[in-house]
Amino acid sequence: MARVLVVDDAAFMRKVLGDALASGGHQVVGEAGNGAEAVASYQQLRPELTTLDITMPEKDGLTALAEIMAIDPAARVVMCSALGQESKVLESIKLGAKDFVVKPFQPARVLEAVSKALA
Amino acid sequence: MSQNAVTPREALTRLGASTAEAIAQVLEMFVPGEVQRGEVSVLPDGTTPFTNLPFGAVATSVSYVDGVTGANIFLMTPVGARALASAMGVAPPVPGDGTASEAAPQELSELELSAIGEAANQMMAAAANATSVVLGQEVEISPPETRILDDPDSAVEIYGRAPHSTSTTFVISGEACRLIQLVPSAFVVRMARAIDELSMEQPASGEGNQAGSAGDGWGKRNDHDAGSISLHEALSDINLRVWAELGRTRMPLGQALELPLGAVVDLDRASDAAVDLFVNGLRFGQGHLLVTDDGEWAICLETVAGTVPTTPHGVRALALENQMKGSD
Repeated sequence: MARVLVVDDAAFMRKVLGDALASGGHQVVGEAGNGAEAVASYQQLRPELTTLDITMPEKDGLTALAEIMAIDPAARVVMCSALGQESKVLESIKLGAKDFVVKPFQPARVLEAVSKALA
Repeated sequence: MSQNAVTPREALTRLGASTAEAIAQVLEMFVPGEVQRGEVSVLPDGTTPFTNLPFGAVATSVSYVDGVTGANIFLMTPVGARALASAMGVAPPVPGDGTASEAAPQELSELELSAIGEAANQMMAAAANATSVVLGQEVEISPPETRILDDPDSAVEIYGRAPHSTSTTFVISGEACRLIQLVPSAFVVRMARAIDELSMEQPASGEGNQAGSAGDGWGKRNDHDAGSISLHEALSDINLRVWAELGRTRMPLGQALELPLGAVVDLDRASDAAVDLFVNGLRFGQGHLLVTDDGEWAICLETVAGTVPTTPHGVRALALENQMKGSD
């Protein structure tokens, strides 16, 4: 079971992700609403896994991913973004993301991605 | 431009139609069987699309931020917004539990507004993807912003005016909603050019097809000269890229670069296995390869988007040259 940082600009999505992670026995240790908060929270919390939205205000998810990977090259990050943004998959993987979950999703898909990232 | 160049009105209609189609598909995931699409109306240039805006309308806006400009505003009644949020798993606030305003218990909670914003985000991401297919260029969107609008003037003040606009109606769980698209002239020109380049031979027929005149601000409009055509009509003559895929394999870049002429590359499929048929990048179905009497390849479809075709022989054959006629 992992300590997870959940990053999404929508409180609704943070709740949905948190519920999905909790159903798999994971612990949400922090939440962030944009990329800047995500980087700061990562530095502070050093979670075992981070879920990261792409389209966010102030700093988008791909920029935040690059900064997190610069801080911790071993960071485990799962990208989570809307249908139609699959073109970001390759860019995310190049930057170091472990997996990509497309919204809307089933909780099982989130847990599968988390398990894969933690393996 | 060619003699048959797409007009701005046709480009706007197709933009509205492709956007509406993408939005309806996402909405259908949230509220299965409860979504009805209405017509796409291209509003007269320079008019405000916010007329007849009911008090307390819930507006979620998403803008294009890269590649193209323009705004998309999804308008819902408070009842419709609550129904959508509820379908997404957010219960209405209960007076006295801290989630509802005692002064106005009917107000949407923060979590309801967040859910509606997320729905708009997913809808417009899908719509941007559809637009990017037409433009041949990636289109990115901004994070959604959700507001409560009290009157048309405040809507104009917030969203501004655009030279062109479209209005598309939806009904979600019995509540009428409206998508407004504010479209800059440069975007229209690019859309028209892109559609031309997709070899569209017959412009949509929408002239003289008037929108309803008994507008109530949601399901119908009052604009007497707003042209509208059905989504099916708007989309039916768009040419798509269609191709078949025999199989795949993976190899390191170095190995690929060193492949000699005559090399045999094993694919991941048996020779008698079904091949995939792709339409504009989406896997559309599967079937078996045939050779026609003219000596051309064809594919005999066996499944289409997870279903089995119901033609007399259970299959439908599509002739393929390396790509189908009309593709590029």
